[in-house]
Amino acid sequence: MFSIVKHQELAPKVHRLSVQAPVIAEKAKPGQFVILITDDKGERVPFTISGWDREAGTVDFVFIEVGATTRKLATLGPGDQLAHFVGPLGLPAKIDHYGHVVTLLSGYGLAAMVPILRALKEQDNRITSILQAPDQERLFEMETLTELSDELVLAVGTRGEHMTESATMALRQLLGNHRRVPVDRVIAMCSICLMRVASEMTRPLAIKTLVHLTPVMVDGTGMCGACRLSVKGANRFACVHGPEFDGHEVEGWDVLMARRCTYADESILQQGFQCRGCSQW
Amino acid sequence: MSEIKDPKALEQPAKAKKPKINLNRLEMPKQEPADRRRNFNEVATGYTYEMAMEEAHRCLQCKKRNCQDGCPVNIDIPDFIHALQQGDIKEASRVLKTKTSLPGVCGRVCPQEVQCEKHCTLNKKGAPIAIGRLERFIADWERSQGGFTLPEMAPSSGKKVAVVGSGPSGLTVASDLAIRGHQVVQFEALHVAGGVLVYGIPEFRLPKAIVRREVEYVKTLGVDLRLDTVIGINYSLDELLNGEFHAVYLATGAGLPKFLNIPGENLNMVYSANEFLTRTNLMKAYLYPEYATPVKIGKRVAVIGGGNVAMDSARCSVRLGAQEVCVIYRRTRAEMPARLEEVENAEEEGVKFYFLCNPTALLSDGRTNVSAMELVRMRLTEPDESGRRRPVPIPGSETIMDFDTVVVSLGTSPNPLISSTTPDLEVTRRGTVVADEHGKTSKARVWAGGDLVSGGATVISAMGEGRRAAAAMHEFLSNGRKKIIPPSPATE
Repeated sequence: MFSIVKHQELAPKVHRLSVQAPVIAEKAKPGQFVILITDDKGERVPFTISGWDREAGTVDFVFIEVGATTRKLATLGPGDQLAHFVGPLGLPAKIDHYGHVVTLLSGYGLAAMVPILRALKEQDNRITSILQAPDQERLFEMETLTELSDELVLAVGTRGEHMTESATMALRQLLGNHRRVPVDRVIAMCSICLMRVASEMTRPLAIKTLVHLTPVMVDGTGMCGACRLSVKGANRFACVHGPEFDGHEVEGWDVLMARRCTYADESILQQGFQCRGCSQW
Repeated sequence: MSEIKDPKALEQPAKAKKPKINLNRLEMPKQEPADRRRNFNEVATGYTYEMAMEEAHRCLQCKKRNCQDGCPVNIDIPDFIHALQQGDIKEASRVLKTKTSLPGVCGRVCPQEVQCEKHCTLNKKGAPIAIGRLERFIADWERSQGGFTLPEMAPSSGKKVAVVGSGPSGLTVASDLAIRGHQVVQFEALHVAGGVLVYGIPEFRLPKAIVRREVEYVKTLGVDLRLDTVIGINYSLDELLNGEFHAVYLATGAGLPKFLNIPGENLNMVYSANEFLTRTNLMKAYLYPEYATPVKIGKRVAVIGGGNVAMDSARCSVRLGAQEVCVIYRRTRAEMPARLEEVENAEEEGVKFYFLCNPTALLSDGRTNVSAMELVRMRLTEPDESGRRRPVPIPGSETIMDFDTVVVSLGTSPNPLISSTTPDLEVTRRGTVVADEHGKTSKARVWAGGDLVSGGATVISAMGEGRRAAAAMHEFLSNGRKKIIPPSPATE
């Protein structure tokens, strides 16, 4: 059993849990994930690690209440236990000195990107972060993100509102300025449609664009193949070859997007995804 | 090989009686096909006491133990059957346990027809003793008695061993070494121990209560089982060797699913057999929503492949409510690697077989769900390296069949998590770990066995490799320099 030591509500329906897991905290690297099971009858669900404390032996992750398991997690607090907690899974994000790095963040990515930003900062990168959220209320981790980013662009708009406030607009501006202020790398941890759009936008400029994919997984150790995708003509598993991939090499985005919804149960579909998808073009 | 107890000690003086040969091999009672199509309960319900006695009494107690030689773990088959003939089930159980820690599993999933029963003298008359069914009867009897029949344990050797993986091979090594006095820590990546016995083989063929019980038995021997621990991630192999462990046994199985590499393979509702069975068996999707993991299945299911895993996938599909389930295999019935018994069971349950067909593409319904399969007819040519006749496509014979669910069951290869983080561990091009007949790998103090070495075989052969490796490891641990090891810190 793994004890929960802290529960924070970051925004409506957005929570951060800290879990006592010294073995995982010891080895965690930016961009990796954990798989947890809430109780004996629970499902295996992956979450990107958003922070860890090696001394205290804790691992943090941020989640949004969507399905049965995340709703259940939202009710847990200090003193409660998770039946299973395994990780750190997946390959760590690639970190180096690139120069000017633009990151695209939305949803859980606002928090899960923090370890990557921190590592990039240590390598002396200049970071421009574009944050997308449906409204001000649903922005979180602002303090940390402000501290770690040299420039912060907020893309906060609701459906039907002015589109200049979308993340793609902000990215377009940056890319339009590419000749004067070069963008050396784009890293996206946001909705899959935004990652797809961003990859297409940077392709003509040949700016390396890394996307953090989160297809449906079952075991998370390369056994089931549920999270497979086509990368440069080869079958790759997000759990062992990813979750970070070169957005220009990912093929079959349509299938990847559709696969995510295979197991979205009725209760999730009724809430209505906030996907503004490819209208963002 | 196993010196725990000398099985010869209980050998009876051979009487010069002339047994009357009884060729009436007793069938095991089974659930009717119409019933079992709708539930996940075990298909075969096992011998009753009377049936077991009747079957045991058919045994001729041959002097030459051909059946025992046919067993990959060399179980003293005539001895346990003799004990049964005497009505001493407890003794029969003890005899079994000297050579196998998993009799309830072996009795159910071993291919006895090509092992012990194939070598039975009565097989010449076409009616071998139902050794597997008797083994199962004894294991089930022991389970109904509550406690375990524990073997004699050697005193502590002070040596510590890591066993990586808790499938049949890992469980065998863990119990063999624990019995010989070594301290064993067993690591399992998943949240349940048992490996393929829990994620792969379905409940109706091997009830999970039996696996749980056999894992409990291994724990009773003092094995420290650590779930949710991935070697290659949480600890590298070198960390284990440089840390507290004197030797390591790798038995991580073959978990990486193979795909067809044809267009449309990543469409929705195309599963690997591993995903489909993991959802259904390990995560108990057939009990959704009581268990949180769902499995989606359509009306017309195609299972591609001809092995036991394909049969399991097809039979799970039937039970999950598919209207039509078809097995697509590129060779003919004669070349199918699946056990005949399982093929017959599947047929009784309404599974259809399409032989000499190979999928060439999966087609989309326009919303990225699979809707049909393009197949090409095959014909058999001369035998290939596996000894089976090689199938080649017949040009121009393509046809299209409608399916809304496809399960790809083409076999698996080993998970590279450990080999990719251990450069000095020699692996083949197929990703299997290179090991000699004792399971010794290219790396010092590391042994390996099971599907990780073979690339994919049976439960019992994995156990056999484990048995041999455990003997070699025991020898190494006994001859090695003595070191004083502080007791390991207690784990939660």
